[in-house]
Amino acid sequence: MTRAFTISDVHQLPAERRTETRAAAGALHLKAEQLCKVIDERAILRDVSLEIFRGDFVALLGANGAGKSTLFRILSTLNSATSGTLELLGLRAGTNAAAIRAKIGLVSHQSMLYGDLTALENLTFFGRLYGVKEPAKRAAELLATLGLKQRANDRVKSFSRGMAQRVAIARALVHDPELLLADEPFAGLDAPSAAVLEKLLTDLNAAGKTILLANHDIAQSLRLARRAVILFRGRKIADVRSEDITPGEALLHMEGAAA
Amino acid sequence: MTLLRKPVILAYWLVAAVLFFGTMGIVFFWTPEESTMGVIQKIFYFHLPVAINTFLACATVFAAAIGYLLTRDAWWDDLAAASAKIAVLLATGTLLTGMLWAHGAWGVWWTWSPRLTFSFMLWLLYVVYLLVRSSIDSPQRRAVVSAVYGLVAFLDVPLVYLSARLLPDIHPGNIALAPEMKLTLAACFVPITLVAFGLMLTQFEVYRRNRAIARQHESEEQTHAFPLKLKVSAA
Amino acid sequence: MSTMLSQVAVLVEKDLRIEGRTRQTLGIVLVLGILITSVLGLGLSSQPQLAALGAPAILWVAYLFSGVLCFEKTMAVERQEGALAGLLLAPIDRSVIFAAKLFTNLLLMLGTAAVITAVGLLFFNFSLAAAPLGFVLVIAISMLGFAALGTLLSALASSTRLQGGFLAMLLFPLILPLVIASTVQINAMFRPGATGADTGGLAILGAFDLIFLVTSWIVFELVLEP
Repeated sequence: MTRAFTISDVHQLPAERRTETRAAAGALHLKAEQLCKVIDERAILRDVSLEIFRGDFVALLGANGAGKSTLFRILSTLNSATSGTLELLGLRAGTNAAAIRAKIGLVSHQSMLYGDLTALENLTFFGRLYGVKEPAKRAAELLATLGLKQRANDRVKSFSRGMAQRVAIARALVHDPELLLADEPFAGLDAPSAAVLEKLLTDLNAAGKTILLANHDIAQSLRLARRAVILFRGRKIADVRSEDITPGEALLHMEGAAA
Repeated sequence: MTLLRKPVILAYWLVAAVLFFGTMGIVFFWTPEESTMGVIQKIFYFHLPVAINTFLACATVFAAAIGYLLTRDAWWDDLAAASAKIAVLLATGTLLTGMLWAHGAWGVWWTWSPRLTFSFMLWLLYVVYLLVRSSIDSPQRRAVVSAVYGLVAFLDVPLVYLSARLLPDIHPGNIALAPEMKLTLAACFVPITLVAFGLMLTQFEVYRRNRAIARQHESEEQTHAFPLKLKVSAA
Repeated sequence: MSTMLSQVAVLVEKDLRIEGRTRQTLGIVLVLGILITSVLGLGLSSQPQLAALGAPAILWVAYLFSGVLCFEKTMAVERQEGALAGLLLAPIDRSVIFAAKLFTNLLLMLGTAAVITAVGLLFFNFSLAAAPLGFVLVIAISMLGFAALGTLLSALASSTRLQGGFLAMLLFPLILPLVIASTVQINAMFRPGATGADTGGLAILGAFDLIFLVTSWIVFELVLEP
């Protein structure tokens, strides 16, 4: 089953360049329609529409200030949009917030962890909040998977950025979410941690998890994800298959220059 | 629109001024003096209407705060800001006239009597409101924070009133008002309320205009920065 | 309902665990409270009767300043590394976050008040013999209202990232009725020839608690910004 994704009407491309993205058979995991966000009289997001199917791995690209973080906060239900609709996992955001949150995970550049608690304590705590059965056991398992077994009982504030980020990812996964939103998770990571994270994301997607990844490294994003969405000044200006765009072209889009 | 409104605004202030000076005349030349206090008692005709208007202004801030929290429309925030400014102005007036009265009646500039304490605490609450607004740069944050504070502050007012009443009063008991005095009091309400309301509307207009200008700048910036057609080069 | 209670318990346990590990908040708050009490005690050392009479007011000054510090710190824990966003992402009600923070603040403040009061009673030679239970009741009720308003306002203040004194500026004018009612109450109980608790003051304290518990509960959600 093929499905055509429209490129924003602002950006006209010759017909042969209109791309198609194959939708994974099955559920629509994320459906955003005409999302707008205005903060302090400034329009941060303008009419952003997005559809993500189960099992998709989508990269979100854009320059600083393009609105990626704001979009992530809205998609993760942390903030609400000024206008537009959002459906996650078939549920309307706004009315079913708690049900949605139980099934999505967010990783961002802040670790969202308590520095004075150990890695194990942090994960057990969040596990309990999510209603995970046997939270301590799950926490230990996750830490082992991420290669942090030795440091499980150390306080998170003593961790390097790379390790703290791994614990943060564990936090996002503790409740086994179906949709993972990753907002610049590679920021500030050293090479070994980045490699661990890359493998983790790939494995998760292979196991059926839907991933939306915002990333600065264009080549890396196109390599990991199967689809790339580009934001420019709050608008979606491209939505293509990763194989149909080169990093150079993507960069030009991100800078608002001709493609 | 401004052309139409200018004569209305002028007429409004003219009426207010006439009434104000008219009632001043009545207060000083027609109304009898109160036997125990003398001329100073006449400040009461100014004090009470100002105090009532202070309360009205605070109530407006409360309503505007709720309005903002429910709708997130900046109109309410502007209304709250304007009302708060006038509330502080009026509260200062209430406090000062109260102190003048206290000096005239009891010979002291200050005492922790229920009325003075209440005036002071009310004044403090809304001065802090203005300080809160001036401390926050982001307009949206400022609106939310001041709305919450404005809401909580007004809910506090009855508690302030009741707790002030627990304090010992120097000279309890009301002064009996002769019928001419009651008339004068009623008359004074009109110009003072007109002035208070007028000031609030003026301030509100200023805030609305500033916001409209800011919005215009913002949209100009956005349209210049984002051309409608992007160049397309051949693959 | 029981899930909400257990969620609150999980959050409070987390707060207390962090507190126990660092002893940061309680330590500084207690030191500040004792310091204030000592300074005022020293200031009035030449007039012991004044000190005894002024004890309730002096104690409240100490409670207020240590309280502000306490509320600031318990909220600051959530702001570091964006942990608050982590809480907001969880499928829990916002009011659960409020209830837990309130409970933590209340526990810490009751403990602080106990220590400061003990120190104050010592320094000012103020005896609770006349109405010990009455005193405890008044302070406990006051602390509830104080913590409710303090929790709401500290969340508000921390969302602005403004430092130093902003929370104090917000809280102090609002809390004055509580302080007045509380001190008048205590004075009524301990003045020579006192007739006992004056219900007017207690009613005001109760009203304060009720109004601000309900308001904070409702408004808290609007205040949380990750």
